[in-house]
Amino acid sequence: MSALRLISNRTSQQALSNSDYTWEYEYYEYGPVSFEGLKAHKYSIVIGFWVGLAVFVVFMFFVLTLLTKTGAPHQDNAEPSEKRFRMNSFVADFGRPLESERVFSRQIAEESQSLFHFCINEVEHLDKAKQSQKGPALESNIHFQEVPRSSAMFEEDLNCLTKFNIPNFVNTEQNSSLGEDDLLISEPPIILESKSVMQSSHRILD
Amino acid sequence: QVVVPEEVFFTVAAAGILENLLVLIAVVRNRNLHLPMYFFICSLAISDMLGSLYKTLENIFIILCKMGYLTRRGDFEKKLDDAMDSMFILSLLGSIFSLLAIAADRYITIFYALRYHNIMTLRRALVILAIIWTFCAGSSIAIALFSYEAATVIPFTILFPLMMFFILCLYVHMFLLARSHAKKIASLPTSTVHQRTNMKGAITLTIFLGVFLCCWAPFVLHILLARFCPHNPYCACYMSIFHVNGTLIMCNAIIDPMIFAFRSPELRSTFKKMFCC
Repeated sequence: MSALRLISNRTSQQALSNSDYTWEYEYYEYGPVSFEGLKAHKYSIVIGFWVGLAVFVVFMFFVLTLLTKTGAPHQDNAEPSEKRFRMNSFVADFGRPLESERVFSRQIAEESQSLFHFCINEVEHLDKAKQSQKGPALESNIHFQEVPRSSAMFEEDLNCLTKFNIPNFVNTEQNSSLGEDDLLISEPPIILESKSVMQSSHRILD
Repeated sequence: QVVVPEEVFFTVAAAGILENLLVLIAVVRNRNLHLPMYFFICSLAISDMLGSLYKTLENIFIILCKMGYLTRRGDFEKKLDDAMDSMFILSLLGSIFSLLAIAADRYITIFYALRYHNIMTLRRALVILAIIWTFCAGSSIAIALFSYEAATVIPFTILFPLMMFFILCLYVHMFLLARSHAKKIASLPTSTVHQRTNMKGAITLTIFLGVFLCCWAPFVLHILLARFCPHNPYCACYMSIFHVNGTLIMCNAIIDPMIFAFRSPELRSTFKKMFCC
């Protein structure tokens, strides 16, 4: 691999015929390669490789877009289906008990969704945030405003949480499983989080 | 020999190095960006910078050789050549592992969102980066030293598609979750655009992996052909576009910050502050 030093011999190329090429390597030389009597086109590997690569990328894209087309959205009321989404998503996708999720902070649930949106689709939500700023000041609006900066804020909020050094909270985190213990510490984090959310959102908006 | 003009070469290389340097400076200066996610993006920027630097140095080296200041067969030149090759392999391996780390970080963000802060602490992220770079440095030196054996080329070229496949699986899994989330939030005001959301996700994913594949695969194929069939006329024809392959790698260094770093609004606002104030 270290022999891949192609030094073009400009002077010597004029002496060679068009069908011969010479590469000089640092450590060893290859003789001229003649292109007489080829069955296929000279650049067949090049063309074949690029065509194959393009086909693969397009195929991947079509597979992904095909995945998006299964199922269509159905219209519902905003509030009940928001709650249903939170419950459904956590039961279906994360497989955790329903009660602990409902008791656990709503903000974190919305922020996991906002992190996902942050990864996939920030620009559209920035537009939505600008539009929704004109609407009534609901919590969902604050949520959409937080979406573009969600990852930094997510870390800040959890930093605020851990700073408050609640023994139960620390122990359950080390167990790394949300069980019945979360019901015990659910009350303080929600209060703390709403405070930290307001602080950080004010900080960011300034 | 398909020759890329040297001005184009140096411009592309310089643009790549500058852009990645800007990303690094922005992350270092803004305290809000001291997060595992941005550290992985920085690691990608460093490996892109190394790749561009390698190409620049190699070109300078060739120019010096042509002008006669350096002999082609001297000992010093061989050592320099080895050092530069190991820098290049370091850059390639660093790119692959940084992309893997970014994908894994996003995966944990989405699937273990509630425990993300405990799983991926800052210290753990730095430890992971240290391990990745030590491994890359060690294997790059080993590969550069033992590049004559066919045995080094084969694992190197197998690693590349394996990592790509693994990253693809991670992203597809995330994508499937994104799709099921989007179906469930249909009633929110964004319901009319959720198809566009998923379409944009598909485009983003294709761009991520397509860019990496298109920029690095030609070079990897070149290495394979150079090892196994250098005298075959078809292979020789492919190897004649070596300079184009090198330029593609540097284009990758330019495109990567755009699709990873500049997607973050926080980083963009840091840039604006750096340049406007």
